[in-house]
Amino acid sequence: MQNSALKPSTDLIRSKLKLHNLEARLRLADTHKHVSNMLMEKALDIEKLRQHSSRLLGAGALAGSLALVPPGSLSLPPPSEILHKLRVSSNVVPVQAPQKILLDAIRKVLPEKPRALTHQEEKSLEQIFSNVMGVNAKGTLEGEHLNTTYGYVGAEQHLMRYPGDNMSTHPKVLEDDEGMAPGRGAWGYFVSAKAALTPDLVETEKWYAVVQTLYLPDWNTRTRYLRDWYKYRKVLMLNTNNGNAVVAAVADSGPAAWTGKHFGGSPEVMNYLGGPRYKKGPVVVFFIDDPDNKVPLGPIEYNKINLPEWAFHQV
Amino acid sequence: MSKVFYDKLVALEHIEKEVNKIAETREEREELYRIIDEYIHHRIMGCILGKLPNEHHEEFLNKFVDAPHHDDHWIYLKDKIQDDVEGFLKSELSLVASELMEVIKGPSKKKLH
Repeated sequence: MQNSALKPSTDLIRSKLKLHNLEARLRLADTHKHVSNMLMEKALDIEKLRQHSSRLLGAGALAGSLALVPPGSLSLPPPSEILHKLRVSSNVVPVQAPQKILLDAIRKVLPEKPRALTHQEEKSLEQIFSNVMGVNAKGTLEGEHLNTTYGYVGAEQHLMRYPGDNMSTHPKVLEDDEGMAPGRGAWGYFVSAKAALTPDLVETEKWYAVVQTLYLPDWNTRTRYLRDWYKYRKVLMLNTNNGNAVVAAVADSGPAAWTGKHFGGSPEVMNYLGGPRYKKGPVVVFFIDDPDNKVPLGPIEYNKINLPEWAFHQV
Repeated sequence: MSKVFYDKLVALEHIEKEVNKIAETREEREELYRIIDEYIHHRIMGCILGKLPNEHHEEFLNKFVDAPHHDDHWIYLKDKIQDDVEGFLKSELSLVASELMEVIKGPSKKKLH
């Protein structure tokens, strides 16, 4: 008898998790009766706490709140000044210029560890991306903003494009391919049948990104609008360690907050950002401002001449 | 960032993989993510309150509810608990991960005849 025969159904798993949850909640209130009202009313509702946190961080980012960001980040030199200085100093090594300029410039803007960026930091990065890569990318687009634009990306699997899609015919990366996700993406199949698959949708699945729409503070109140707005939304994903960048399309939601990651990338996205063994790393994710749908998905090849110590570095 | 101060300790990617295997729709998957998020939160709060002297509970909870993301909670907890806060939370998380895995995958392998 195989162990898989013991595998519980999804309904049973959900019920068991809910039961565990309820027990833990009641145990807490019972053990700490002196604060049980506060616990039950405010401190144990993690969904509301996360939404509250998103609003605080969003407001702080806009105001450049001193309480949320380290000193120094509020007094960034203008991006034009950063780029000018870097271009002058990089004259001695012109062949390395674009990628080195970008990396040096973003390092002057980004905090040491990923966190929600301030409005000013995002504006500086927008100008740097535009000047160095020629990409019109925005932290906020049409009033929409992710909970964070600087976080950790993790490797995702290929998505099923149509019923019956599988890895025997699905394109894959040459080495260490992640295989196919067992479930569909957040927007379901890309098409209802293989015959309906277009080259555009093949590219969309190939270069897809995952963002945490489920934790957006207004997801529950604007679900329908946001679901449409985010579907296949183009984003710039930049590996801040080596400067490799891709334009990807949002095609799934996640990762869960308890994974330590904030974004996901298809096997092809991750392979380009850091090589076949790149499974997690810091990235900046901005929306691509592309009203005429002219920006192609895939690598941004501003850096065809690579830094020997970083480019296509395999993590 | 939708962040809670202890998020940096929580990296249960292997649990997410299992959830993704069993959930068939976006809604189902996100519901399971939320239940697990809540469960982890309950366990972490239980662990913190179990170590933090009672007289500081209300103050800590007020600070936490006001700014769930703030890294200053670590300083507060380290000061009041006088112990390796991150260490015992990591141990708790390891237990939580094992329990979650058992719920999702079923009992660990046993030889059946």
